[in-house]
Amino acid sequence: MSRRVLILGAGAAGLSAAFAARNSGADVVLVSAGAGASSLGGGAVDDVPWEERMHAARVLGSPIELHALPAEVAAFSNALGIWDLPDRAPPPFVATIAGRLRPSRGRDKGLLDLGALHGKRVLLPRAPRAGWDADAIAATLSDDPLARRTGLRFVAIDAPVLRFADEARISDGDLAARHDDPARIAWLGERLREAITTDARVHPDEPASAVLLGSWLGARAARAAELSERIGLPVGEALVGVGSAAGLRFDAAQKKFLDALGVQRIGDRAVSLVRDGDRLLLTRARDTAKIAADAAVIAMGGVAGGGIVYDPPEHDAGEDLPARGAIPFALSIDAPVALALGRGPLDVVASMHGPELDQIAWPKDAAPSALEAVGVHAPGGRAAPGIFVAGDVLAARPRTLLEAVASGLRAGRAAAQPA
Amino acid sequence: MTRTMPRPVNSSGKVEPRRSDHDVDVVVIGGGVNGTGVARDASMRGLRVALLERNDLAFGASGNNSGLIHGGPRYMLNDPNVTAASCRDSGYIQRIAPHMLHRVPFLMPVENKGRAKIMFALIDAYFEAYDRYQPLKRGKKHAMLTAEEMQTLEPGLRGNIVGGISFDEWGIDGARLCAANAIDAGERGARILVGCTMERIERREDTGEVIAVHYRDRRTGKTGKLRTGTVINATGAWAPITASLGRIAPTRARVRPGKGIHIVYDRRLLNYAVAAQTIDDRQIFVAPWQNMTIVGTTDDDFYGDLDEVRATSEEVRYLVQGVARVFPQIHTARAIGTYAGVRPTLYAYGPHEDQLSREHQIIDHAAHDAPGVYSMIGGKLASYRIFAEEMTDILAARFDIGARCATHERPLPGGDKPIDAIELAARMEIDPVAARRLVFRHGSRSLQIAERVQDRPREAATVCTCEPVIEAEVRHVVRTEWARSVADVSRRTRLGLGACGGMRCAARCGQIVAQELDLSPREGLQQAAHFLARQAQRRAVALGPEQAQQEALAIAAVRAELGVDVRDLDEGEAA
Ligand SMILES: Cc1cc2nc3c(=O)[nH]c(=O)nc-3n(C[C@H](O)[C@H](O)[C@H](O)COP(=O)(O)OP(=O)(O)OC[C@H]3O[C@@H](n4cnc5c(N)ncnc54)[C@H](O)[C@@H]3O)c2cc1C
Ligand SMILES: Cc1cc2nc3c(=O)[nH]c(=O)nc-3n(C[C@H](O)[C@H](O)[C@H](O)COP(=O)(O)OP(=O)(O)OC[C@H]3O[C@@H](n4cnc5c(N)ncnc54)[C@H](O)[C@@H]3O)c2cc1C
Repeated sequence: MSRRVLILGAGAAGLSAAFAARNSGADVVLVSAGAGASSLGGGAVDDVPWEERMHAARVLGSPIELHALPAEVAAFSNALGIWDLPDRAPPPFVATIAGRLRPSRGRDKGLLDLGALHGKRVLLPRAPRAGWDADAIAATLSDDPLARRTGLRFVAIDAPVLRFADEARISDGDLAARHDDPARIAWLGERLREAITTDARVHPDEPASAVLLGSWLGARAARAAELSERIGLPVGEALVGVGSAAGLRFDAAQKKFLDALGVQRIGDRAVSLVRDGDRLLLTRARDTAKIAADAAVIAMGGVAGGGIVYDPPEHDAGEDLPARGAIPFALSIDAPVALALGRGPLDVVASMHGPELDQIAWPKDAAPSALEAVGVHAPGGRAAPGIFVAGDVLAARPRTLLEAVASGLRAGRAAAQPA
Repeated sequence: MTRTMPRPVNSSGKVEPRRSDHDVDVVVIGGGVNGTGVARDASMRGLRVALLERNDLAFGASGNNSGLIHGGPRYMLNDPNVTAASCRDSGYIQRIAPHMLHRVPFLMPVENKGRAKIMFALIDAYFEAYDRYQPLKRGKKHAMLTAEEMQTLEPGLRGNIVGGISFDEWGIDGARLCAANAIDAGERGARILVGCTMERIERREDTGEVIAVHYRDRRTGKTGKLRTGTVINATGAWAPITASLGRIAPTRARVRPGKGIHIVYDRRLLNYAVAAQTIDDRQIFVAPWQNMTIVGTTDDDFYGDLDEVRATSEEVRYLVQGVARVFPQIHTARAIGTYAGVRPTLYAYGPHEDQLSREHQIIDHAAHDAPGVYSMIGGKLASYRIFAEEMTDILAARFDIGARCATHERPLPGGDKPIDAIELAARMEIDPVAARRLVFRHGSRSLQIAERVQDRPREAATVCTCEPVIEAEVRHVVRTEWARSVADVSRRTRLGLGACGGMRCAARCGQIVAQELDLSPREGLQQAAHFLARQAQRRAVALGPEQAQQEALAIAAVRAELGVDVRDLDEGEAA
């Protein structure tokens, strides 16, 4: 009989754990409470945080390096189907809505990859949307140190990319969903082609090399490639830090991916995970039936994803001192694991209120914030017998998608092995 | 209400206005309520004025206070003059800037302990006395309420109380008040130099008279000089430092620097402001404030860097614990920020911090061999106008000009006529809430913003969704209110101060500021990163569960879009 592996969380870590566990022959049940960091992020796919990479390259005076990806990571990414993780130099560069150019290890297929461009002139169609001031974004991008170094230029142009009046106001997600309609993509292709033709007449010596748009190109899947084909130029989205169409596409892909993998998916909130003999028993919030498994992977995300909660003891204090002095961080479920802020487990502090967060709640220069570093203490990804941990919920690991995938694959594989 | 000043041995003499060897008649140092207030009054009376502000308008106490233009009932016993004058001036402020005021009805629970009944009767009598001042500021009379009535009015109230008292106060946005005074002064010809710090008051070796004021633009590093014979030190808690820059002993412009903090919550938690006692029997409050709630305040001697005043978690807990005694819900409410300021209280040795009077005083430094230099010490928001009037009366005498004060009659910019927010919303095609906020901040000047939107419809776009703030307003405050950075825009509009911590709007605001001021776009981004980090620190001391998750999300979003380490933007030029 094959082993039954329980996975908590359906972000990048949970999905990759499910992938590895299934590939190792386990039966997989996945319980997830909904959207986490993976479906909120902007679509850049990093292994190391990009600032760190940029900083290293600056210090070493060398081009930004690209680490080869393990075959299993590539296989997972292919199965998920929404990312492009090229093995070439220069690495992908994406443009952000704030006006920065930044490297990434890979990207959601909807984002424009500036690392692969041939020319130097990128067009941004103007559109009367709150988050899209094409002129300001173009100016800011052109002023980015990287653009100045490489001569890349961003230019706002007139092109009627909005079709209906309400599109000045609807959210990025709703506009993205309208582009799931092939007829709409065809319409947009026409508009862009006209604009590019006009542009080419005005700037015959400097043909446009790409078109950058907002986070609008498809909610169920990225429509950028289709659009590129229609206009004969690379087209793609700028990265929006939070709440982008790329997040919606992750959500859409997640469901397809788990069905294809043959994983039993349960939408509920986990409450506790306890050991009962040689099994683990999971209690949930809505359904009273317990779920039993041979091993479990906790992939519930960090503070952003909801796996770790910050709950200072004074929060439920009455009118006096908190009832107990306590570490203010906790896993969002009861489980026999310990938390850590750095490398060792969290220590008792000499305050009724936990450690002072004043100086550590926001990252400083290169140092991560306490809210990013806190997580389950699980050296090698194993927190307790039969309990494995992956992704953002792990202490002191970088909060990136590929880190989540790598640790998820490792945890899924380990969970599928007999103890 | 100036305590009749001990007549200085030698007061500053007379000078001609508009002397050709002077660039301006008066240099005002400090852009708080007192500095902007005096700049307005003096400009209105025909003097040529320049105002230097080191950081930003309302950067100090004036932008970081409880916002109550109360009559100061607590001064009634020690200092009834303060109460009467404050009430009268509160009435004037309502007349000249009705748009930026909001009514704050207070409930004061009386705890059932010791001689509670006697206390209650005493408090009642006390407020009966306060009622006499209420008509001066269009306030309602107090009411004595039973414990049940208190509970009905404010169901969140807990604790063992015998009853309570209601009384009426007004709230004001101090930052808007400073902006309005500065705008008016500017429109009357004053030069408002924001971001420029006074570095030195140049005085004659022999007579000690003022020759010029030297300053430096802190962003560009450029220095400048204003030739003048008269300087007003209106730098609040900075006053002793300012005096020393004019070669006057700092002890001659001494203040007791009393740091006070506030905690901001994400929405209106109650309908009434509620007074509470702390563990050491100080009076604090929780009050609905615009669309949010604030808890305040502390009062501790502060001898640190006045440009970097921040709340600590100890101060936050001290307040929360005090408020929880009557309003326990505060523990589970969502704090989204803190702010801190330092009161420039008149100096006196010894007394417990709270017993110091908040009265104000003008010091003529002729007594210290520096004729032509004056320090405005102390004061309150509520009495800024009368303080400015008293200062300007002295100037009028010095320059021998007859002009009388009119600041209590002439409306501040935006205060001349009421604006219907709903109509404005329809006209600008913006959200009614956004329009209401716009009118609150700008009064009739919101019509100027509406005009911008008419010419450029895309500027109706929302930049900050929490507050909300539209693009046209951001541009307006950069163009007409001397905002020079994301932080300055935030001070004037409350952009980025909501639950999202600015993660969605700071970078966009930086783009706009850079465009408007012709800065490099990179500088706009740096400003945004700076603002985000600073605000995060202010939130961190009051962090709770929901806000922590939001914070983690904000960090990730900012990392993805902008980077938290923007030092490489500095190197852009070199690369
Ligand atoms: C705004 C933002 C921008 C980002 N940008 C980038 C970027 O540019 N590049 C990059 O590489 N990375 C980025 N990241 C980080 C990246 O998204 C995360 O590192 C990664 O998604 C973590 O995946 P995860 O599976 O560990 O957690 P998550 O994706 O957070 O998944 C956690 C899952 O656990 C579930 N869960 C939580 N608690 C429970 C419970 N009690 N019971 C059941 N289920 C539960 C949640 O519902 C969710 O499904 C960003 C993150 C955010 C938030
Ligand atoms: C916590 C707290 C709560 C309060 N609550 C109330 C209340 O409810 N009601 C009320 O009426 N009053 C209240 N006050 C008091 C009131 O806010 C202050 O008395 C008033 O704002 C003082 O104004 P100011 O202009 O003198 O000083 P500030 O507003 O502090 O202004 C001084 C300015 O001078 C500038 N400056 C300093 N040095 C230089 C230099 N060298 N060159 C140029 N500029 C310089 C600073 O940057 C600063 O902007 C409160 C104060 C605090 C701190």
